[in-house]
Amino acid sequence: MKATEENYNLAKWLAGELSEKELLAFQQSDEYATYVKIAAYSSELKVPDFDADLLYQNTIKHKKAAPKVIPFYQSKWMRIAAIFVVMLGLSFTLRTTITSTEVAENGQKTTFSLPDNSQIVLNSGSEIKYKKWNWDNNRKLDLEGEAYFKVAHGKKFQVNTILGTVAVLGTQFNVKARKNRFDVTCYEGRVKVNYNNLEVIITKGTTVTFDKEYYDRQDIKSTKPEWTTNEVIFKKEKLQTIIDELQRQYGCEIVLNAEENNQLFSGTLPSNNIKTALGILTSTFHLKISKFDNKKIVLEDF
Amino acid sequence: MEETSSNGICEELIFSSFFKSNVKSLRNYLYFKFGNEEKANDATQEAFIKLWENCKKVPLEKAKSYLYTIANNTSLNEIAHQKVVLKYEQSNTGNDRTNLNPEFILEEEQFKQKLEKAIDKLTEAQRTAFLLNRIEGKKYHEIAIMLNISVKAVEKRIHGALVTLRSEIEQFK
Repeated sequence: MKATEENYNLAKWLAGELSEKELLAFQQSDEYATYVKIAAYSSELKVPDFDADLLYQNTIKHKKAAPKVIPFYQSKWMRIAAIFVVMLGLSFTLRTTITSTEVAENGQKTTFSLPDNSQIVLNSGSEIKYKKWNWDNNRKLDLEGEAYFKVAHGKKFQVNTILGTVAVLGTQFNVKARKNRFDVTCYEGRVKVNYNNLEVIITKGTTVTFDKEYYDRQDIKSTKPEWTTNEVIFKKEKLQTIIDELQRQYGCEIVLNAEENNQLFSGTLPSNNIKTALGILTSTFHLKISKFDNKKIVLEDF
Repeated sequence: MEETSSNGICEELIFSSFFKSNVKSLRNYLYFKFGNEEKANDATQEAFIKLWENCKKVPLEKAKSYLYTIANNTSLNEIAHQKVVLKYEQSNTGNDRTNLNPEFILEEEQFKQKLEKAIDKLTEAQRTAFLLNRIEGKKYHEIAIMLNISVKAVEKRIHGALVTLRSEIEQFK
């Protein structure tokens, strides 16, 4: 029997697929008898038995022992999503509960809004700290320096400074707390000021000044602080206080090499023109400018 | 074949009947392949466990090919293990042949032993295809599906197996 590579005649024979002619030819061959025996005896071969039931039980049991079903919350994407949500929540919480700080450096003014849309203008060299979280029910902030507030109507609004506290219910007012001097000016509505043990209520167009033991109350005509329109107003202030204020407004250093002068100054100085401001100051206090550059100014007795 | 929903195989009744109708073929196929009972049983178990675990992803009509794919993959990992030892079980022909002369019976026994040794000489591919046909009575096209090869390739293996067996047996003469 010729077994070519292309025609697997032996396979065909075994499957009973040979044509009669091919079969006859095969039966004539020497190998035929052996192939018949191989076919016959090989089909008598037996496979060792196995316990199908045991295999089945093991299979079924396996699923119960270790379910491969991944719970929803353990799937990879759910984990990523969960982490994302936690991060989002965390950043939101941190952003609202931690203290927010607004700063106006020397020579700068900053305007910003609170969560209830109250407007605040920070004068140069001032800082405000407050918490955004639950702001509408807890309107409290800490002020260092001077700021002008346009408070939206709502619950009690409180400004804390190291010198005193100002409490209002929706109004416009200015608070200035510098060194020992505490100035509060009311432009609209009513403002309650606490300074040490004193409690003063001022109304529209009134300003109060506290300076250690000193207390003064005055009427004003302006409808908003002069410093917001590039002017600085002084009322009975010492030279050093004025110089400090000018330093903040212009962001420069002013050195005073003069004898102590207790003369008090009342008036308005521009906060956007240092030459004019210094001109007014030097003529009032009989000083001269001995040095003037970008960062440093020295004033001496005339 | 019944039209089923995709997780029909997850029903224990359906799985059980699928198991019963396929476990023997798979196990014996793997036995022919490995020539080792333990490995064959383990691999069979593994394949069914994987099917059971993934029953939701495997539609019933694809379960069989899934099963053999898993089994064939296991085989690849196990293949290098050891030399195949295929046992030859005595067939229950004694009773039928009591009237035959002892010389014939002896000759028959000798042939069986030669055949057994010759089967050992087959390649794994030839042995698997040949024994699936001879012992399990699988048609070539069924073997082709199980091994994921063409019918022509199955025929080639069967043919090669027969040639090898005859030449091995005749060597012992």
